Amino acid sequence: MKALLGGAAIAAIALPGLAQAETFSLWVRSDGSEFMPKLVDAFNAKGEDKAELQIVPVNELVQKYAIAAAGGSEPDALSLDLIYTPSFAQAGQLKDLTEFAKSLPYYDNLSKAHLSVGAYDGRIYGMPFSADASVLVWNKNLFEEAGLDPDKAPTNWAEIREDAEAVAALGDDTYGFYFSGNCGGCNIFTFMPLVWASGGALFEDEGAKATVTTPQMKDAIEFYRGMVEDGLVPAGSQTDSGSNFFAAFAGGNIGITPSGSFAIGALNNQYPDLEYGVTYLPGKDGGWSSFAGGDNIVVSAKTEDSKMPAIQAFIEFAYSPEGQKILAQNGSLPVRDDVAEQALEGLDARYMIAAEAMAKGKTPYSPVFNDLINSLNGPWVTMLNRAFYADSGEEVDEAMEEAQDEMQSIIDSSR
Amino acid sequence: MSDGIVAGADAPPPKKRRRRRHSQWTGLIYVLPALALVTVFFIVPLCMTVWMSLHKWPLMGLPRFIGLDNYERLLFDKSFWSSLWFTVQYTVVVTIALLGFAMALALIVQGQGRAVSAYRTIYFLPVVTGFASAALLWVWLSNVDTGLFSPLAQDLGLTEGRVNILANFTPAFWSVIVMVVWKMAGFFMVILMSGLQSIPADYQEAARIDGAKWLQRFRYITMPLIRKPFALALILCVSGSMLAFDQFYIILSGGPQNKTVTAVYKIFNESFVSFRLGYGAALSMVLLVILLVLSVLQLTLLSDRKDK
Repeated sequence: MKALLGGAAIAAIALPGLAQAETFSLWVRSDGSEFMPKLVDAFNAKGEDKAELQIVPVNELVQKYAIAAAGGSEPDALSLDLIYTPSFAQAGQLKDLTEFAKSLPYYDNLSKAHLSVGAYDGRIYGMPFSADASVLVWNKNLFEEAGLDPDKAPTNWAEIREDAEAVAALGDDTYGFYFSGNCGGCNIFTFMPLVWASGGALFEDEGAKATVTTPQMKDAIEFYRGMVEDGLVPAGSQTDSGSNFFAAFAGGNIGITPSGSFAIGALNNQYPDLEYGVTYLPGKDGGWSSFAGGDNIVVSAKTEDSKMPAIQAFIEFAYSPEGQKILAQNGSLPVRDDVAEQALEGLDARYMIAAEAMAKGKTPYSPVFNDLINSLNGPWVTMLNRAFYADSGEEVDEAMEEAQDEMQSIIDSSR
Repeated sequence: MSDGIVAGADAPPPKKRRRRRHSQWTGLIYVLPALALVTVFFIVPLCMTVWMSLHKWPLMGLPRFIGLDNYERLLFDKSFWSSLWFTVQYTVVVTIALLGFAMALALIVQGQGRAVSAYRTIYFLPVVTGFASAALLWVWLSNVDTGLFSPLAQDLGLTEGRVNILANFTPAFWSVIVMVVWKMAGFFMVILMSGLQSIPADYQEAARIDGAKWLQRFRYITMPLIRKPFALALILCVSGSMLAFDQFYIILSGGPQNKTVTAVYKIFNESFVSFRLGYGAALSMVLLVILLVLSVLQLTLLSDRKDK
């Protein structure tokens, strides 16, 4: 009898999750409105713990969370744009997930880029959740019309330029290349990989040092500026703050554009007539890189410990082959590379390229990312907009030097 | 004793006095709801803003008292002063354009002709559009690839090729001015029109008989007599323009290259993009003081001294 009681007590301690099903609240930014509800439904259907999902508009997520946190009504868990993880961790808003993360048998297979921005001061605060990598897409219909091999992807800047010129020569309303020239977020995602692939960087020392004025950055800017100057890019790109980022290429009159893996699903569903190819974002003389984007899942610092088993169960479900498959089928790349192939099985083969890009992709680390990069008036977008459309090389240098100074001063004053 | 103070030295007869006291209390009851609203929505937030401006107040995490550091910092914040300077320039240009245009409209529609009320409606219609929707409409019209302005400029022979009017400062700035004048002129037209209609017809008639030309009548009769409504329009226009935000945020996002970031836009960026709420509060206080000074100045300059 005594032994029996003891056994029951041990079971109760070891398996607190079984004691009673928990419900926890979960937020996701609207970018996840395709895959998240499906994942949550599948998890809730298992009949034990329940996740209560709320979708928050992508541009309001940080503000909404902060206001909720100030009033003590923050969600228990949150799928957060990964680049914000350091700033949330720095503000003391997040729970330390180091033990849990490292206890997972497949810890080493989780997305390195996500984990690198999920860490703060040597502890893990954010774990990989959804993923979106930047890639280069090209319009095969236009390539064919222009007499190019529609199946041959450009592999360096000179080839991009040649292909763009051939496509632009087709006529007035056809352009070789497109990018959103006034959008900081779009360009950190699709322009920065060109610099990375050529050996440059934007930050060093965990975001403590800005390195804007590098030859690689200057080359990449000049590459874009040259295409603008020669009319290979539509004039509207100069004032596009992101609203045309995807739509321009989908319109069918753009030869090549850097984009994200999200475009594969969107093009397949909404523009079935558009034949397109997907490749890596190349460096100046070859090689390639990618921005590993997407969400980290984080837990609010004030979340009660009794809810942790339920949240952990949800995260483990998302990492299971079943969960990874649900994510992959609904527009997010897998974040566990040992089951990526299995999760992507039967899907468009172009996803494999994006998944490959994801696995080797980079994510810049900065607790002031919003200030520097995403702000409509931040130094990053101000520099790019001025430099891409500059009349002279001196103006480019000036824009780069100003951005270097301003970024460094923002970083310094935040510490 | 207290009755004496309330009623003043030359006290009226007792009966009347009681009634007046009674009406004073009723008056207080009447203003009470307004007073409560002002307290809750103006005085309390104002005090909170002052309190906030003395802190380092991040959006997440705990505020820390830092005294006047925020104010010291703003003294050397070039981007704040340049945003303020841009706001002043915008206010001067838009006020002249807006009031001039509104005055012209008011003169056109002050008569009694059959079509006049139709004109009034047409001129007033844009006023009821929200600034955000009007700005979005403008963004759409200005789009170089799909909008209306670029082909229009081409057809009129103003430009050779397509032109992205929002990409350079001067055309972008003037396009916002045109949008604001289009949207707001009807509002100021109504204010000025009410002034015009309050001028007795005899005055103009007498002047006309004396042989005064239109311009003379406008200068010596119309303008002096609509001084008060004009002052009201001016103060509304200046304080409104000093607080400009939506149109620059939506149409230009502060671009090209941050040349059109207004003071309120800068405050918005500090508070809700960079999450420095304390600093944003300090900037707001500075803007509030500037507005206060401007309004007092305008009131003194334009108030009818003979009335006092």
